[in-house]
Amino acid sequence: MATQVTEFRPRLSPAIAVAGESPIVRTVGDYPGPEAAETLIRSLYAEHGRSLLAYATRLTGDRAAAEDVVQETLVRAWKHAGDLTAGKGSVRGWLLTVARNIVTDRARARAARPAEVADVEIRPPVEGDHSESVVNTMIVMDALDQVSPEHREVLVQLYYRGRSVAEAAKELGVPPGTVKSRSYYALRALRAVMAGTEAEVAR
Amino acid sequence: MTEHDRSQLGAYALGALEPDEVREVDEHLATCAECRTEVAELEEMKYFLGEVPPEAFLDGPPDGGELLLQRTLREVRQTAVEPAPVQAPPARKRTRTWLLAAAAVLVVAGALGGGVAIGRQTSEPAEVPVAGSKHVNSSDVATGTTMATTVEPRAGWSWVMVQITGLKAGAECQMVVTDKSGKTWIAGSWVVSAKAAQEGSKFGGGVLVPLNQVRSVEIRTLQGEHVVTAKI
Repeated sequence: MATQVTEFRPRLSPAIAVAGESPIVRTVGDYPGPEAAETLIRSLYAEHGRSLLAYATRLTGDRAAAEDVVQETLVRAWKHAGDLTAGKGSVRGWLLTVARNIVTDRARARAARPAEVADVEIRPPVEGDHSESVVNTMIVMDALDQVSPEHREVLVQLYYRGRSVAEAAKELGVPPGTVKSRSYYALRALRAVMAGTEAEVAR
Repeated sequence: MTEHDRSQLGAYALGALEPDEVREVDEHLATCAECRTEVAELEEMKYFLGEVPPEAFLDGPPDGGELLLQRTLREVRQTAVEPAPVQAPPARKRTRTWLLAAAAVLVVAGALGGGVAIGRQTSEPAEVPVAGSKHVNSSDVATGTTMATTVEPRAGWSWVMVQITGLKAGAECQMVVTDKSGKTWIAGSWVVSAKAAQEGSKFGGGVLVPLNQVRSVEIRTLQGEHVVTAKI
């Protein structure tokens, strides 16, 4: 396979390319009053609360610890509201990343002092470069936001839920052949979004 | 499996086929380099998908989270009456983070497009080399090419940039990275434009090999002819 050289322009999604512009919520300075802050927290909680708590619960293995993590995540989201830009994927990616970092930081702090008998075990997520992970989770969530709902759905079923083609077909109410072809085109679409749609592969 | 039945390859890459279907695809892949390349590209996507936790696809508020919400609201109300607690990070710093984001995306881009334009995209990080990156100059008398190679460390993988002079216009090149166990990794391929043949060709690609495991970077033609190698 020869890859044709084309003018390559990384086409990051609007939310990323113009970070800081058109934020979904404004900076904390725009939310000085208790009412505005409350509105923000309530909306983040209503949309992302379940996702965040489930993730934090898996990482900490403890519901009470997970609730603390979610509380801190939401408070940080309010304090850094300017970083949250439009696009559901990137907001959730931001929140999940912050939650993971809080779990990691707490696990590190815990490791740095003598163990207590009552301590719950904190399982830190895979170690890696902090800042790069931040970026990748958000970028991939954003890319997943840009593929069609049918494509996203089949990736969620096959990759994130670990379902077989037959199981996914039943779940989605489409023939197995459709699940197969959609999963192929979904991966290609994701690749195209990640690379920028201008990059064309010549065959 | 039917010749080049690509529709099977997505589910194959995601590990969702039945064992007998996997066997069929395996048999086809053993004889078909084109489909092997395709599978490798699809499997690369799993690396990105892995950056997102499965819980990311749950929606709505949590079950039984009312107390959590009330506690959070109380904390925010108490803080909200005080002056702004945290300043948003300066725009400049954020810009750099997004540049890093662009670099992460280029792992795919290196294999997809690239060439001269990629070199331009990556020229900014090159001016301020990433800490721990390695730089090697090499040349090949037989092919008359010289190459400047920079390998930058990433989280568990490496970003390889090359600048080559002496390539022929129209040559189809690929970047092959060999790790210390002897395994080879294709970090992308490109065609040398007339301009790149004259002024030098830049290319970047990523491999899932940590920097300290990268042994060499070789440029070959798609026909398998050696062009130039850099020992890292």
